[in-house]
Amino acid sequence: MNQKKSLWKIITGSREVSLLLILIVMLIVVQILSRGTFLTPTNIGQIFRNNALTMLMALGMLCVMLTAGIDISITSTLAFTGMIIGMLQKRAGFTNTFALFLLAALIGIACGFLNGLIISKGHLAPIICTMGFMYIWRGLAYVVSNNQWASGADVAKFAEFGKDGSVGPYIILIIAYVVFFIVMKWTTFGRRIYAVGSNADAARVSGINVDRVLIQVYTIMGLLAGLAGALSVSIYASAQPNMQYGKEMDVIAACVIGGTSMNGGRGSVVGTFLGALFYAVLAKALPLVGLDSIWQNLIKGVVVLAVVLINVLTQRTMDRAALERREM
Amino acid sequence: MSEDLILELKGITKIFPGVKALNNVQFQLRRGEVHALMGENGAGKSTFIKVITGVHAAEEGHMYLNGKEVHFKGPKDALEAGIAAVYQHPTTYPTLSVTENIFIGHEFVKRGMIQWRQMNQEAKKLLDRLDADFKPGDEMGTLSVAQQQMVEIAKALSTNAKIIILDEPTAALTANESEKLYRIVDQLREEGVSIIFISHRMEDMYRLASRVTVFRDSQYIGTYDVDKITEAELIKAMVGREISDMYPKPQVKIGDEVFRIEGMSRTGYFKDVSLNIHAGEIVGLTGLVGAGRTETMEAVCGITKADGGKVFVDGKEVHIKNPADAMKAGIVLLPEDRQKQGLILGWGLGDNVILPVQDELAKGPFKVKNEAKERELAKKYLEEVDTKAVTIFDPGSSLSGGNQQKVVVAKALVQDNMKVLIMDEPTKGVDVGAKAEIYSIMGDLAKKGYGILLISSEMAEILGMSDRIYTMCKGRITGCLDIQEASQERLLELSMENSRTTGKEAVK
Amino acid sequence: MAGKSGRTIDATPKTSIKSRVLSWESGLIVIFIAVLIFGSIVSKSFTFSNVLREMPKYLSELFMMYAMGFILVIAEIDISVGAIVCLAGTMTCFANRAGAPLIVQIIVCIGVGFLCGCLNGVIATHFQELPTMIITLGTQIIFRGIAEVSMGSGGSVSLSDTMGFAKIGGMVGPFPIAFFLIIIAAVIFIFVLSRTTFGRKMYAVGSNRTAALYAGIPVQKIRQICFTLVGTMAGVCALFLLATSFGANTTTGQGFEMDVIAMCVFGGIATTGGKGNLVGATIAGFTIVCLRIALGQLNMSGQTILVIIGILLIVSALIPGINQSVKNRRKAIAAK
Repeated sequence: MNQKKSLWKIITGSREVSLLLILIVMLIVVQILSRGTFLTPTNIGQIFRNNALTMLMALGMLCVMLTAGIDISITSTLAFTGMIIGMLQKRAGFTNTFALFLLAALIGIACGFLNGLIISKGHLAPIICTMGFMYIWRGLAYVVSNNQWASGADVAKFAEFGKDGSVGPYIILIIAYVVFFIVMKWTTFGRRIYAVGSNADAARVSGINVDRVLIQVYTIMGLLAGLAGALSVSIYASAQPNMQYGKEMDVIAACVIGGTSMNGGRGSVVGTFLGALFYAVLAKALPLVGLDSIWQNLIKGVVVLAVVLINVLTQRTMDRAALERREM
Repeated sequence: MSEDLILELKGITKIFPGVKALNNVQFQLRRGEVHALMGENGAGKSTFIKVITGVHAAEEGHMYLNGKEVHFKGPKDALEAGIAAVYQHPTTYPTLSVTENIFIGHEFVKRGMIQWRQMNQEAKKLLDRLDADFKPGDEMGTLSVAQQQMVEIAKALSTNAKIIILDEPTAALTANESEKLYRIVDQLREEGVSIIFISHRMEDMYRLASRVTVFRDSQYIGTYDVDKITEAELIKAMVGREISDMYPKPQVKIGDEVFRIEGMSRTGYFKDVSLNIHAGEIVGLTGLVGAGRTETMEAVCGITKADGGKVFVDGKEVHIKNPADAMKAGIVLLPEDRQKQGLILGWGLGDNVILPVQDELAKGPFKVKNEAKERELAKKYLEEVDTKAVTIFDPGSSLSGGNQQKVVVAKALVQDNMKVLIMDEPTKGVDVGAKAEIYSIMGDLAKKGYGILLISSEMAEILGMSDRIYTMCKGRITGCLDIQEASQERLLELSMENSRTTGKEAVK
Repeated sequence: MAGKSGRTIDATPKTSIKSRVLSWESGLIVIFIAVLIFGSIVSKSFTFSNVLREMPKYLSELFMMYAMGFILVIAEIDISVGAIVCLAGTMTCFANRAGAPLIVQIIVCIGVGFLCGCLNGVIATHFQELPTMIITLGTQIIFRGIAEVSMGSGGSVSLSDTMGFAKIGGMVGPFPIAFFLIIIAAVIFIFVLSRTTFGRKMYAVGSNRTAALYAGIPVQKIRQICFTLVGTMAGVCALFLLATSFGANTTTGQGFEMDVIAMCVFGGIATTGGKGNLVGATIAGFTIVCLRIALGQLNMSGQTILVIIGILLIVSALIPGINQSVKNRRKAIAAK
């Protein structure tokens, strides 16, 4: 066998490498088109800040999708927790930033745990269960809001943490990605998630408690959605019951671009990071190539669809080549 | 007795809802022996293995390991006690690496971190020991079945298993691969590992085992020394009767050619396959698993697309683009996997039977279901094949394997323009009684003048039922024998590799 | 001709009264009546004529629900329908502003839906490896994206000539036109699914796609038809939505896909395919519409109903599983 892999094989063989290359090419093109004004520290900072919520939740979605599941309740969880901590500040004058984040995390954990419990023990399709909670948490966010918003002045102190120029959101992102990178690759806990998604029956036979793993991943997803709720209030200095409505699809799309398979068992933290980053850079770069921001969604949609279709086509070519090699 | 038993099971009974899968069976494994476990499909071997490995808990019975009674609550307990199983269909993680597949569940962990480098090295050592031709970093899903099996064996070795159970390990292997597996098993035995070996192949048993235990119909029949029992005696123990009365092959006058394929090819699956069938003739098609028999016939029937080749029915060429075209032309396929391909298990038997003809029965321009007529037809054909069912509304899942197969046959018979019936492994997983009934139906159909193609890996069945036998190997037809000149040895030889030149002209 | 053993098999259909009474649909009827009683207790204006008058606002989604029922029965999912509603609505507004005759506007509206559905179907049938969830996730963003681009920076577009659409949204006697059409659609869709061979083919595809293929059913054709149909019905939905909103914006139709899926599941259709019927879905749809009207009259924040829909959805999806495990337990006890 050929020990040295050709460069082409490395590029096409690994989603991470090919995505990184595309990202670099895109950055160079945009950098040239913008006459060197794109890659400034402020711009880069904003790319991350504007997409912090998606990037954070993409990690949880990665775990969920690795088990061949999906969670579309996340932005409702986000709105529900965001609304609670927003109202706590507005009505109760509770302003301890750390405590608010902790509370948001706990609410998120509770929401996610419910998802996991019903999906694993009640054998409900993940999409149905999380769709139910999508309605419930969003509805409760409205109930909590009681037709009021928490806006700038109400959450002024809390918004210090996430305001433009504060390092808060970046720290959360960095910690989350480092922790997940380590956990998913180097702990048995992370590998069990892969195992369950790759072949749940085999996992059961080899003594892995599949139900528990499912509960764990949805709980993690909930935790991150809760944190994203707090982060959202902090970054945008407001809490509204309709916040991030429909954005769960962005999170799923980021994972898919990053190479996470909807059939489970395939996906990585690095890929997810690059997928989310790709999505973010695309949004920021469009105005620079002369396209209004209203083009954003259309381009995003085309990219998502193109990525999944190209994936299928490459897989087919590879399978075909393997069949032709088979001697007869 | 002062035998050195490493494992002993007594009085094991396992009940699934509605079925006794194991009825008071026993088993003894000596230290360092290779012990074959044989029996027909559905005899309870796989269930028994799962009881040993803690996947199923038995309702009754005791299990002793090294003389001490043990109770396994789950597969993990069995693994820790040194019992590892390599299942028939490798239960692997296709998206993960070989290393990970080997070590899942017992990773090397230091300070909470998985030691990938150490694991990769250890995996390489294990693979070298088994003389494997792939690397620890390869993705499991890209390996062949034989290679995956080797990973499973490596996995068993990595747990320092003292007892390894191999469940039909050679079923999907070529002759060379099987030989390699035999060598590995020999090597393991020399290292002091005790092995339970499940197989249908007599040659596996003679080559490897010193003793053999036979199960039949969920019951323990006996344990024999391999060198003290003849093949006929063993088959009788497994089947429960003399083999000769199994195959009611009627003498039918062979008519004109009804079906012929020429030069069927599909890249990577089969190449240049030609064969023909006459009216009233039962033609056998045999070969090892993976020889391309099923794939060829699926392409003929329009399930998949062939790259080239012609299909003739009654001498006229037919163009088949989808399964409906094949049915219109009179070619009906009884698929290999009746639970997934043949039946909709949740549906009533009647609905299953009339599914292919519902449009012809339907009324009016909107194709309204003609339920009265449908029920009548379903009843007629389900009774004709003698299905053991109470009403035509019983769900398919409520029947045994053999009766499910009869429903699939009824589903074929209901198509009154049928000329050729392709039966793919029709008796796989069917109990002995139902098997004989399916053979008798097959004989009746031949008498009525249908052309029948019997795809089977079971030599006895092929030899017992066919008028003429084709063999396939690696996607090509390697021979065509008349029943008089066919023998088990000859067929096996033709089914093995490097036999392409032997055999007669494929189409006579 | 009986078999060799002379065994006969019973072929007379039996439906016990008990199974009729305990069916999912009768449960739904009870809930529906409960909602009506609840409405008339809590709100004085929850009268027959008021309910009918308010209905058009909520009815348009039901058009899509029937076709979504087909999609779920064949074990697929389409989350792009909300975006199709948005796109069809937007394009119709442009046709209206360009002064096209009403009939052309209607054709544009339904035609856009047809084309979008067709596209979903073509991708789904040519890329069978992909789950349709992910295909329609992609096309959803694209469809809404096209609508956004054509609406421009304002993010909305309205009808300039509302005469025609006011007629479409109008009443015949005490009943809204949409109500009549919904009933007609219900009859047709229920007939196709439960009485025709095509309906049985859909159940076959949803129950076991492989077995359906082996039985000679044109699986891909059926998938194509169902996706095209749900797109077309999304166009019809947009038409009736315009008749009450007289315009479209970037959030038009947002969440509709989830609403109609929820109605179907509440109506007893399993997302895993091959189960349920549209009679249940119809009752479920009207139950939710009436609940919305009642809560709207109570002046409760319209979104409170989301909590109720969510709970209904999860509970109704859980019940079959619980039922099954109770049955299994009984069986196990009986076996002992």
